[in-house]
Parts: sequence; C-alpha cells; structure tokens
Amino acid sequence: MVFQAGTVALKEASLEIGSGEFISLIGPSGCGKTTLLRLLADLIQPTSGAIRVGGKTPQEARKSRAYGYVFQAPTLMEWRTVLQNVMLPLEVMGFSPTERRSRAEKMLTLVGLEKFAKNYPWQLSGGMQQRVSIARALAFDPQLLFMDEPFGALDEITRENLNLELLRLWRETRKTIIFVTHSIPEAVFLSTRIVVMTPRPGKIETVIPVDLPQPRGFETRETARFFEIATQVREALRKGHGFEVQE
Amino acid sequence: MTRNLVPMLVVALVVVALYYPLMLLANVPVAQQALDNGAALECKTTVACASSLRSPVLPAPMQLWTGFRSLVLPLTAPTSILPNAWATAGNTLLGLLLATLVGIFFAIGIVASRAFERSLLPWVVASQTVPIIALAPMLVVVLGQYGVQGALPKAIIAAFVAFFPITIGVAKGLRSPDPLALELMKTYNASDQQTYLKLRFPASVPYLFTAFKVAITAALIGAIVAEISTVGFQQGLGRMLFENSRASDVVSIWVIMLSSALLGILLVALVGWVERWVTPWQRAR
Repeated sequence: MVFQAGTVALKEASLEIGSGEFISLIGPSGCGKTTLLRLLADLIQPTSGAIRVGGKTPQEARKSRAYGYVFQAPTLMEWRTVLQNVMLPLEVMGFSPTERRSRAEKMLTLVGLEKFAKNYPWQLSGGMQQRVSIARALAFDPQLLFMDEPFGALDEITRENLNLELLRLWRETRKTIIFVTHSIPEAVFLSTRIVVMTPRPGKIETVIPVDLPQPRGFETRETARFFEIATQVREALRKGHGFEVQE
Repeated sequence: MTRNLVPMLVVALVVVALYYPLMLLANVPVAQQALDNGAALECKTTVACASSLRSPVLPAPMQLWTGFRSLVLPLTAPTSILPNAWATAGNTLLGLLLATLVGIFFAIGIVASRAFERSLLPWVVASQTVPIIALAPMLVVVLGQYGVQGALPKAIIAAFVAFFPITIGVAKGLRSPDPLALELMKTYNASDQQTYLKLRFPASVPYLFTAFKVAITAALIGAIVAEISTVGFQQGLGRMLFENSRASDVVSIWVIMLSSALLGILLVALVGWVERWVTPWQRAR
C-alpha cells in the first residue's frame, strides 16, 4: 500500500486468519495497522498484492455485506434514537420493518442497552455509545467484525469492562474479529493471536499466539502467563524499532 | 418564559426611555418654528407641540399608539393592519416554500458536482447583488404578461431574495457529515441515494433551519417590496405603505413599519417553533 505522496504505508503483510479467530493488530502509530484493516474492508485499495476475505475480493466482500465495521468514534446519527441507530444498516439493506425492530432489540439486549432504546446518543456516555455502535455492526449478522481502536478514547475502567463484554459477545456470536489497538494488555486479554506490526515502512514483525484459557475474566489479567505474553509482545515491538528510546 | 419576561420588559423600557428624548430632540426645532410662525396649534408649550405634530420627524409614543389603534381597529376591516399583515405573511411563506425548493435543488447540485458549483454559483451570487427594488416592478410586468398574477409574483420575488441563504446553508449541511459516517454508509454498500436519504439530508436539517431564520426575514422584505410594486386590489403591508406614503401620513408609515418588524419577529419565532418540533433530538440539549 503506497499513499499518493509516495509514502509506503504498508510494505510486507502476509497473514491468514481462520474463521472464529480473534486477531489483534498492534503497533505504534504509523505501522499501518489501520491501513491493513481499511484494505480488508475495501475502504482503500492496495497498490499491489492480493487480499481475500472469505474467498472474495474485499470489494466483493463489502458488496455482499460480509463484515461489520466499528470505528474509533461511535459515529452514531444524532437524529436517531439508540434503537433507530442500530436499525440503520438494516434499513439500508432492505430488511422488513418487523425484522429490523426485532433484530435491533435483540442486539441492544446483547450489549445490555435495551433500557436505552428510546434515548438519543447524546444522552449516553462514551462507552455506552460505543456499545451501540458494536450492536449496530452486528445487527445484520455478518461473520466478520472489523474494529479500529474502538475503545481508544475511553477511560481505563470503562475499557476493561468493555473488553470483558466484547469477549462474551465473541463467544456467544462466534464471529471472526479483527481488532486494531495500541494497548498491549488489551491485545493479550482479547486475542487468540496478536499480529505485531512495526513502522517505516509498515510491516508485520511477528505473530504471537495467545494460549490463555477461555473463558477469560478479570483474574486472567493477573496470571503469570498473561505477563509472559505481554512481555513477548513488548519485546517484538522493541525489536522492530517500534520504540527506539522509550520504555 | 416567565424567567425571560423581566429582561424582555427591561429592554423594552430602555428602548422607550431612549426613544422619548430622541423624539423630542428631533421634533422640537420643527415645533418651535411652527410656534414662531404663529401657526394655529392646539398646544401651548414647545414640548407638548413636539409630541403632537401632524408630520413629525419621529412620532411620539402616544401618537404611535393612537395611530396603531386606528389602523388595527376594526380588526377585520380591509384597511386594518391585521388582514394586510396576514396577506404579507402568506406571500412570505409561499416565497419561502419556493426558495426552499430551489435552494435544496441548487445545494444538491453544488455538493454533487464541482462543475455545477463552479459554473452556477457566480450567477447565483450575481442575482443577489441586483437591487430588488429595481427588479421587482419589472419582474411583476414580465410575469403579468404570462398571466402570473395574485400572490404568486410576490412570492416569486420573495423567493428570489430568500433562496440564496437556503442554498448556502443546505450545501453546508449536506457536506457536514463526518467522513467516518460516510465510510460507515460505504461499509453497508449503501447507494448514493440512500446516503442522501439516511445521512446527508437528516444531517442538513439543523442547517436548513438556521438558513430559514435568515431567509424568512429576507423573504418578508422581498414580499413587501413586491407588494409596493404591484398595482392592484390585493392586500399587504407593502400596499398600505404605498398608499400612506402617497397620503404623506408619517405616523401611519411608522406604525406599518413597526408592524412589519413585529411580523418579522413572529415569523422567525414560528421557524424556531417548527425547528424544535422537527428536530426533537436537539431539545433540552
């Protein structure tokens, strides 16, 4: 992937992701992790190379609505209530009104916001808004979920709660999730595999499997294995000149 | 409302308190001259005469009140301000409706096509620099040749001055959605039409209402100018202004001017009320 100014955003990225996996892309700013996600989602096109999403090109995958995308910001429509926001993709995709409502209500229950169906987005906290946007991404039941630093703007406590909730969602829905983050604990806690990326030019440094047992809970973060894997990720980042002086 | 009543009254009182000495200042020389010339006046002192001149520079508050009563009562008489203001309001709102249709059409063109924006916008801007007072009578004549009469020519002239703020406001509104929101629609594989219906149009509604508040005052002036330019039996504040200025009735002209200002306030308030009703998500924010 090369940007117009000639900057190489992403040079070497070769990766295969199995169905039902939870993959985190981690790395410092400029390592191309968001670029990789946007390539998969057909929001940008690669200058060279081949990408297949469930056997299709990214464009075919997007047109067949194969994935849900959760952005850094909740991007809720302020003129729609919470329920109406979750119904938005269903309206675009031509679901029947009764189907729209029942699916949206089910999704809100899944993220624990059924009591806020009639509220407007501004009446919700940042964490709740992001949960609505996750419910919206899941409403049309895509097999794939792309998440671009969805909890990056939230405070640590909210973030850890939402991590736990996301894991539960993943277990219950059996989706394949590709998750961009720059938090090491978040990546270790959530993933089945962690893709460590390094910048200038952006490339995949290494892929670290996470063998922490499922289901994971708050206590998982305090196990020795958790720290071992976190250290492994940290060292991989340092090796790739991800952090030259810091730490 | 009651919380705002006190400041509203205070401002009104201050305006009257400032107006009164200003009125005396303007009228005293005229009154003095009339007394010096030995005109047959019913008043004795200069100040009393200054407040009761037949053709004052500025009418006294009491004169305005008397003039207002005589122009309003009886309420339903064809010469009363009320039916005339009603007619003008109708012309203004019809004009605003036309301006909205044209404005939204232009705004979509501007947002959808750079070529459209480049080629059309200069003409739109040029149209707004034409003095409406010169254009209105000619437009009435031209439209009259094609049998367009009654309220429509006035509404067209009102629309002519009102469509510009609506065009600009809606164009800005259509461009207001966050880039992420546009990408979100792309991930749903939404068509352009769906993106307009579900994202761009709803996002531009608050901008439309801001534009309405500017446009409706412009449309009101346009309607009044159009009424002045139209010869006929139709009603309207413009026609009242025209007739009273021919009769050199200064106090009545002031009363009609203040009434049209009041109508403007009511129309803007109406827009605000409709806005609160149409955009419930902005309520209590």
